[in-house]
Formats: sequence, structure tokens, C-alpha cells
Amino acid sequence: MRPVEFQILLTLAHGDCHGYAIIQDIQARSNGALTVETGTLYRALQRLAEEDLVRPQEGRRTSPVDDDRRRVYAITTAGRRAATEEARRMSALVEQARAARLLGGA
Amino acid sequence: MNRLHTVWAAIYRRALAAFPRDFRARWGPDMELAFRDRLEGAQHSRLREVILVAREVVNLLTDGIRERIHTNTGPLRMLHIQDIRYAVRLLTRSPGFTLLTVLVLAGGLGLSTFTFSFLYTAMMRPLPLGEGDRIVRIDPVLEGRRYPVDAIDVGALRAAVASVGEMGGYSEREVVVGLEGERRVVDATVADPLLFGIARTPALLGRSLIPSDAEDGAEPVVVLSFRTWEVAFGADRDIVNKRVELSGVSTRVIGVMPQGFGFPVASEAWLPLPARTMTTTEAGLLSLRLVGRMGKGVTPSQVVAEATPVLQRAFASRDTSVKARGVGALVESFPKAQFGEERTLVFTALNLAAALILLLALVNVTNLLLARANERIRETAVRLALGASAGRLVMQGLWETVLVCLAGGVVGTAGASWGLDAITRWTQANIPANLAFWWVWQMDGVTLLCAGVFVTVAIATLGVVVSHRVMHTNVRQVMQDGNARAGSRHEGRLSRALVQTQVTTVTVLMFAGVMAGIMAQRAVNFDPGYDVTNLLQAGISPPDARYGTREKRQDALRNVHARLAEHEAFERVVMRLDVGEKTSPTGRFATRDAGSAGTVPTAYVRATLGDLSALGARVVEGRAFDASDDTSRAPVALVSQSLAARYWRGRSPVGDQLRLAGIGDTLQWRTIVGVTSDVMLGNPLSRDRSPDGIYVPLLQSEASRAVVLARYRVSEVAGREGLSQAYSAVDPLLVPDTVQPFAEVMRSVGLIAVSVTRLFGACLAFALVLALAGTYGLMSRSIGLRRREIGVRRALGASDAIVTRLLLAQGGRQLGVGTLIAAPFLIVGGLGFMHFFPVGGWLTLVVGVGVSVSIIALVLGSTWLPTRKVLRVTPRDALWSD
Repeated sequence: MRPVEFQILLTLAHGDCHGYAIIQDIQARSNGALTVETGTLYRALQRLAEEDLVRPQEGRRTSPVDDDRRRVYAITTAGRRAATEEARRMSALVEQARAARLLGGA
Repeated sequence: MNRLHTVWAAIYRRALAAFPRDFRARWGPDMELAFRDRLEGAQHSRLREVILVAREVVNLLTDGIRERIHTNTGPLRMLHIQDIRYAVRLLTRSPGFTLLTVLVLAGGLGLSTFTFSFLYTAMMRPLPLGEGDRIVRIDPVLEGRRYPVDAIDVGALRAAVASVGEMGGYSEREVVVGLEGERRVVDATVADPLLFGIARTPALLGRSLIPSDAEDGAEPVVVLSFRTWEVAFGADRDIVNKRVELSGVSTRVIGVMPQGFGFPVASEAWLPLPARTMTTTEAGLLSLRLVGRMGKGVTPSQVVAEATPVLQRAFASRDTSVKARGVGALVESFPKAQFGEERTLVFTALNLAAALILLLALVNVTNLLLARANERIRETAVRLALGASAGRLVMQGLWETVLVCLAGGVVGTAGASWGLDAITRWTQANIPANLAFWWVWQMDGVTLLCAGVFVTVAIATLGVVVSHRVMHTNVRQVMQDGNARAGSRHEGRLSRALVQTQVTTVTVLMFAGVMAGIMAQRAVNFDPGYDVTNLLQAGISPPDARYGTREKRQDALRNVHARLAEHEAFERVVMRLDVGEKTSPTGRFATRDAGSAGTVPTAYVRATLGDLSALGARVVEGRAFDASDDTSRAPVALVSQSLAARYWRGRSPVGDQLRLAGIGDTLQWRTIVGVTSDVMLGNPLSRDRSPDGIYVPLLQSEASRAVVLARYRVSEVAGREGLSQAYSAVDPLLVPDTVQPFAEVMRSVGLIAVSVTRLFGACLAFALVLALAGTYGLMSRSIGLRRREIGVRRALGASDAIVTRLLLAQGGRQLGVGTLIAAPFLIVGGLGFMHFFPVGGWLTLVVGVGVSVSIIALVLGSTWLPTRKVLRVTPRDALWSD
């Protein structure tokens, strides 16, 4: 799984979002270090949708001020499972890094 | 949504076309909405909006192409591969054409990349230290001019400027290292130990300075530069903790800095700046340059806002004539501040010149590609007639352009990289002592990015022209009339536009090149105003450690001068120090009687000891100084004839009094005892060079050092020996600093000017070759397109003279339009040269006219030659061949 896809799934795991909200959330989570442009975001969303990890939902508002034309994206059960798998893989890597004393602790 | 957002949205929609149609249909509307949301989120900052749009567009183009390649694994990818192969075949079939276009593009791209990268490294690049972009210099500014910080203000600035976490001052001085027989003078930086924390660079051996080294009573210590460690101490690995004589004081070496480290300025050793100098209560004792590291996220404007009130209060408390609103703070990145105030102008002007050369190269390559497209016009028409899509033909043409541009980019970037390495080698070989340590020019990310941007611009420009040509092919007419129809109205208009662009570009480049050449020539041949034959120059700086008072230092200067004057090796000796500049407040003076015509009078102020005529200034009225004009006698001064004529019009200034307010001479009036002949003073390349001079006795000034000018009788070797003997006769620890023939000093003044001129002369030569070949090529093609028309005219009875006049008139019209467009650039450029350099209006006008005449000759010659060629073809052949 590509990092941007994992970031998207991480955002959607908290709740359904439209495109701009996903960009904002990724940026906020990384303290501004990570900015996803729209082209990269939607290519990733297309891949996730094709693998049925994300489901686009037409004309659904997540807040009263939302534009009706905005599409909202929701994580699927398969998406949640894939994100969990990826998180576990990363966690194992961190443990290995810690064992190699690349991080604090042993 | 405001109007500008509508424009950004339109640009975004256009760029979205890079994605395949299916993708656009599914995701496009949502992407546009997300983009608009991001625009709204840019918080109405124009700069943020522009950056956002640029990033989004680049992202759409790259991801769009990736998506196309990803989704079209079948036929389309095969088509692209076929097109690339076709383009390669076309290019290899005409190696001459390919080589020419690649070389022309490589020249333009290489020169532009080199110029940008060179200037960026010199002026803009953040220091190569940890988070170097946060290191800034803080300078007080009075009436637009920057000054050093008075040591008395450093404490107040530290307390008030919270946005700069670490702040330290430094000054420069010369020290003598070693004992008798092995002494050498090194340029040392007297630095606040905090500067090493700001630099975030650990020592190679031992340690760098720490605050306790600067405390009262601390042991004298020194940190050596890598170069000093190598040259003076033979790279001794056990140097740390050894003791060396530093201007007669036993000092412990505590560390050696790594190779290439020279912060804040190129230095051979670092000494601690005593902490008590910051807590002094007396102003004017020590001037410092102040360097700081801004906190994370802090902008220079925040630092300015915090520092300005402190400086305003400090200046107002010392000099009531200073208006508080004229005082401010200037906070700039360290390289920017070191380069001076003209950097933006230099950066823009030189990059503009390089961009013009790139434009010239693009015009010529466009012409070559169009000529080639015309040769294949029938093939294009046949393929269109057989059903090939215009898009496919455009793609084939584009691949040819892309390959040529990429090859030109690779060759050009390799050339730029070689040029940057050569510049680094040259500067390190020729100006090693005072080279800014970050001036290491080499291929890096910025150079590659810059080359990438220029190649993209070239591909885009040439791609548009080539696509336009293919899209506007009229199949029916070409099939019917052949290449003759290649000369359509569109084609003619484009051809004329290319000639006009070429004329404008060449005119501006030639004008700038000739003016820069004249300035460099003046720098090389500048006349200091006095005979420099057999003149040796050396510095003298009695060390503070043993010459702690002004009287002691001045005694040393007086004694050395006396020894030199009576030495048989010399026929004339003078000591000199520049203490006031006409262009800065240091040159301000007040007179007791003469009027100042409403402005504050200023002059170049020179402190001298010895024979003034050695500096070209003869005393024409009154008396000269002698060695008895010291602090025990009434203060005196000499003024130049031009200054006398300006401020004592119609009468003699001798006997009147003046006060040198600019150099702190605020309490005493100096009596004018004589008038000297005029000699030009100031920077030889500056518009401010002037004969307005005031001379004061060196022994009645605050000078603690001086420059010695001594004319030897027999030989330079004997002169150098004489200097050493005279210095050491006064004090064995005094050694002449940087002894060199004055002619060598002048050569080094002109060295950079000559080198820069040679460099840009080579660029100009390339531009001129392009202009000559390009203008001929453009006119030749333009006339070639009319061959059929000329054949018809001649068949109908038009004489050769009429046809020649017709074509020359066409060339003349394009020349006129091109020159008209160039005229405003010439005027602005000419005024710019007159403003910044000592060049008169007449010379500028003559250069402008000379350049225009050359361009007229170039264009008319380039029109006449192909006209002769086309007239050699008979009307029958002209009609038949098409």
C-alpha cells in the first residue's frame, strides 16, 4: 500500500470526508509537513475505489454547509481491514528498528 | 469566488486535460471543487495562491501523464514508442540539422542555467550550516544606509529581540602569529563565542570558543582555521593546547575548525570578543556586525519590528540631530546582507541578459524547426489526406522537439556544471584570503531544477510553434501547389515576429554588452591620480595587547614612518587611512564660516602622515602637514581645490575652521592650513568618485592602523627588505602586512572586472554568432517563402532593382518594429548605467547609436544576401520548381 493511500484510509477511519477535508486532515496530522495535491489524491482514491477499499457516496452532506455536488468518501470493511494490516506491518517495523537501537529503548 | 479565482479555476480545468477522458469524467468535477476549496483556504494571500496553483498544475501534468501511461498499456503506449522511434530516425537522418539545433539550444540553456546558479549561490543560497536559512545579519539603518552595531547596543537588542534566540557580534582584525623569523600576519575574527553555537559546526580538533573564554581574566585562547593549521602549523595533529605567540601574547590553541568553515567571514583564526565590551557604557568604542539565528517560524519582519524601537532610542540618545523615524533595522539572510544593497539589481539584470540569450537561441531553433517542417509539408499533407489524425502528427513533431530539447538540456547542463566547477577553482586560486566560505559553485539540486525549468520552457515554446504549424496545414492547397503554399499568411506572420524578436533581443544584448565592456575597461585602466611606478603597499597595525592606548599606537606609527623616511631604500613614503566617505555619513563635515547651500556638506576624508604628493595631492596654498602635527598641537586640516571652490567660493579657505562630524570629531574645530590640488577619490567604478577631499594628520585622528605607500629607489626586493627593517627597528613584533607592489593592487582591483567581462564577453560572442547566423537564416527563409511570388513578379516585368527594394523594405519594416520594441529597454538600461557608473549621457548615446547602426547593417546585409540568391533563379525555374 502506498503511503498516500494509507493516509487516506487513516483519515476515513475517523469518519466520512470529502476530498478537501481529506487533504486538510493529512496536512494537519503531519503538522504541515505533508501536502497532498488534488491530482495525487484522486488518483489514489481511484485505486482505492477500484480495490473496494473506499466507497464514493454521491450528494451526501457531512455538514450543513457542504455543497451538494461534493462527493463524500467512506472507508469499506475491506478498507478498514487493509489499513489495519498496514498499521500492523508498520508497527512491526518500528519494533525491529527499536531492537536494532535505531530508536530509543531496547 | 473573486475574479482571480475564476482565472485560477480556468487554468486548473485546462491542466486537468492531462488526465485521460474517463478519469476526468469520473473525478474531474470533484477535483475542481476540492481545488476551489483549497484556493479559499489560501487566506487571501496572493503569493500563497500563486504557489498553490503552480503546485497543483505541475501535479496535474505529472500525475495526468502517469495516469495515461498507467491506463493505456496497449495500443497508445505502442503508438508513443513508434512516434519516439520515428522522431529518432528523423533526427539521425539529418545529423547536421540535429547537431546544430542541439548545440544552439545547449548554448542558450547552459548559459541561462549557469548564470542563475552562479548568482543564486553567490547571493541567495542559505548558508551551508545546520538550518542556515535562519541565520540573519541585523544592521541598523540610518536614512537608507546600513551601519555596524555599536557594542553598547548589543545588550539592549538581545533583551528586546525575543524572536532571535541566539545573537552574537564580531569584528575583524589582523594579528601576528609566531615568533621572530616565522611570523606571519593573519586575518582574525574577534567573535562572540555564541557565534559558534549559531553556526552549529563542531571543531575538527579540540573545541570552539565558549562563553567562559570571553570573561575577564580568562586565559588567552585562539581557534585556528583549517588553512592556518595547515600552512602555519604543518597540520600538526597535536596542536591543541600548544601555546603560540599572538601579537606578542602567549595564547593557547584550543581548536581547529573543519576545512571550508569561515563563519561569519573568511577568517584565519578566531579570538574571543571580551564579554565586557558588551557591557560598556561608552558609545563609539567598538563597532560590531551582529549575527543571529531566528527562532523556528520567525520571519525577518518580526525581527525588524522588535529591533527598530531599540535602535531608534539608541541613536536618538547619542545624537539629537538624528530623527527617530530615519532609523530602522535591516534583517537579511547572511549571504544577502554580505553581498550589499545592489544584489537585487545585479541578480535581475544578469539573469535577464541570460534569459535574452535563451530567447535568442529559441528563436533560432524555432526557425530551424519551421524550415524543417516546411520541407516535410507535402508528407504531412499526404498523411492527413490518408486519414492520420492531426493529434498523431502533432505528437510526432512534439517528440522530435522533446528529444532535441532534452539533448540540448543535457549538453547545456553539463556545460553549466563544468563552468561552475571552473569558477570555484578560479576563485579559490585567485582570491583565497577573503572568499566567502559558502562560495562553492557546483552542480546541485537548484542547478538541476533550474535546468529542468528552462528545458520545460523550451519544450513548451517550441512545441506550441511546431504543433501550430502542423494544425494549420491546408491539405488541399499543399497537395495542389506543393511547398509554395507553405508560405501561408500564418507562416509569414510568424516569420516576421521571429525576425522582430531577434532584432529586439540582439539590440538589447549588444548595448548591455558594450556598456559593460566599457565599464570593465575603465576598472582595469583606472588612474589613481598619482605615479604608481616602484610603489610598494603594506599595512601596519600595532597590536592592542602591547599598544593599549591611542598615544602608544600613534607613537608606533610615527616611529615606523620616520624609519621608512630615512631609509636609503625609499625616496618617498606616506601613510594613509581612509576615515570618511563622501557617500556615507562618515564624510559629513561642518564649516564655521562657509555656507552649505542647504545640504549637509560631505567629502572624502583621508588621514595622512608624510609626503602628500605621493598621493597626487600637491599643496598649492598654505602649508603641508609635518610630523609635529599631533595631538599636542591644534587640530588642522587641508582641503582640495574643488572643495574650496564649492564651499569657500571666491575666497581662500585657509584660516577658516571645519569640524568632521561624520567620524566623531564633534567637539573640536580644525583649522584649515592649506589647499591641495585635486585628485579623484573613491571607488573607481562608482558614480560617486569625486575630487572633494579633506586631509587630516594621521597623528590627530583616531587611527590605530594605516596603509604604507613607499616608493623604492633600486629594486622591489630591496624595498621589501627595507620595510621589514624599518618595522622591526621600532618593534621586533611588528611585521609589514600584505606587502605588494601597488601595480599588483590595481591589477587585483581590475581582476574580477576583467574576469567577469571575459565571461560575459564569451556569452555575448555566442549571442552575436547566434544573431548573425539566426538573422541570416530567418531572412533567408522569409525570402525563400516568397520565391514563387518573386518569380511571378519578375515574369510580369519587375526588374531586379524593384524586387531588391521590395525585399529590403520588408527587412527594414521588421527592423523598425524590432528597434521600436528595443528602444524602451535601451533607455532604461542607459539610464541605469548612468545612475550606477561614472558614464556620461553622450557616451551612452554614442553606444546606443553605434549598436543601432550595427543592427541595421546586420539586418539589411542578411536581407540582401538571400535576395541576391533568389534573383539568380530564373522566373521559369522559380515557378517550375514549386
